[in-house]
Amino acid sequence: MRSVLKRELLLNIKSLLIWSLSVGSMGLACILLYQSMEGEMKDMADAFSNMGAFSEAFGMSTLSIASLKGYFATEIGAVHGLGSGMFAAIVAINIISKEEDAHTGEFLFSFPLSRSKILVSKGICVAFMLIVFTVVCSLFYLTGFKILGEEIPMDEFFRFMGMQLLMNAEVAGICFGVSSLTGKNRMGIGLGIALLCYCYDVMGRVIPDVKKYLYLGPYSYCNASEIFTDVATSAKAIIVAVVLLVSCTAFAFWNYNKRDLAS
Amino acid sequence: MKENVIEINHLTKNYGKSRGVIDVSLTVKKGDIFGFLGPNGAGKSTTIRSMLGFLKINNGNIRILGMDSVKDHEKILREVGYMPSEAWFYDSMIVGDVIKYAADVRCLDCSYEAEKLCERLKVDTHKRIKQLSLGNRKKVSIVCAMQHRPKLFIFDEPTGGLDPLMQKKFFELINEYVNEGATCLLSTHVLSEVDKYCKNAAIMRDGRLTMLNTPHIDDETFLSFYEDEEE
Repeated sequence: MRSVLKRELLLNIKSLLIWSLSVGSMGLACILLYQSMEGEMKDMADAFSNMGAFSEAFGMSTLSIASLKGYFATEIGAVHGLGSGMFAAIVAINIISKEEDAHTGEFLFSFPLSRSKILVSKGICVAFMLIVFTVVCSLFYLTGFKILGEEIPMDEFFRFMGMQLLMNAEVAGICFGVSSLTGKNRMGIGLGIALLCYCYDVMGRVIPDVKKYLYLGPYSYCNASEIFTDVATSAKAIIVAVVLLVSCTAFAFWNYNKRDLAS
Repeated sequence: MKENVIEINHLTKNYGKSRGVIDVSLTVKKGDIFGFLGPNGAGKSTTIRSMLGFLKINNGNIRILGMDSVKDHEKILREVGYMPSEAWFYDSMIVGDVIKYAADVRCLDCSYEAEKLCERLKVDTHKRIKQLSLGNRKKVSIVCAMQHRPKLFIFDEPTGGLDPLMQKKFFELINEYVNEGATCLLSTHVLSEVDKYCKNAAIMRDGRLTMLNTPHIDDETFLSFYEDEEE
């Protein structure tokens, strides 16, 4: 099983490097831009905080983008949320199906390993990728704060990154389940799931009728502006996330163990 | 009396409404080189893939080396060397790494046997998989199937893409392993291979299996199985 895990990690390392360095450096660049924009930010902050529903959707009604905390929560929060969600979807959506899609399944399945053991290796690989991605991005952002010499509340920062990791795990869990369905490349569906979840959250914050169902989406509990203004995380949202993650992963095992494998 | 290495009893497998194999029963004894003939789509690969647990069977049971193919799936695969008809590997890997990976997953050090096989089959272990032709990929697949010296070999159309010299070396290797106690199931379209190397044979057509009295059948009898299907 260890050999399969090692192989999976090696096969995915390039993608991990590209995505973590891209999202991390993009976040870092945004943080560094803060200093040059600081003066103009004050006027912008007033304008942005009075845009009604949209200000609320992006957290600009509660946090001022003129402060680094507010700037990080609204700008980098969105970049990291979208980037990490897409990465989680990309890693998980093909992790199972790629064997049959690339015809390597017969090679892999002829080894003395049960299908469950193969899935455990692949699941651990996805989890490892998400954790390393989060750590790399966190290091980039912390480097940005250090360069600027600005203080940022560390408790909130780590809570934000932790919740983002949970959101990534939830998106990846859904995609892991989808990946077990058939041996076809479903990259489009994976990206669609991540983007749909993000749009659901934005829409939910703009449209009052949807707001009460916001907890169903994975982006509801990792919203940076709420975390940085100490809004309590909805327990319902966390429960839904854990239930979805566990049930989608369990579905992947159940489905993969009962179906025929394509050559 | 020699022990049964493969015992298939009334195996039926369908893919929804499509026919797979119907009521197939087959026994292969230890030390046999068993020829498994049949036209494309007859059900040879379905039978093999059912034996290896890739497919969930609808009816019947399969015992390999005395073990149940469903319950003892992992144990069986430890003793089996399988070569699929299409030899696909991870494109970005180097041949040597693929061969080592196949041994590592089995928690075995097969380096001596692998080196011997690579030398005899002239496998360049430094090339990347994506640089290999079908024939060379097949040679890598042969090494992966043989390096752990399994008790049972299952080859699905192994010689397609191999040049005549490599085909000869491949059968020499099979004979050597069989002489040391292994058993081989050889699925093929090539009658001459069955005639020359196999001790027993069966032919599949339309998902049903017919045992042949002898593997040395003439071309006309052999082709009649194909022609009947076209009609």
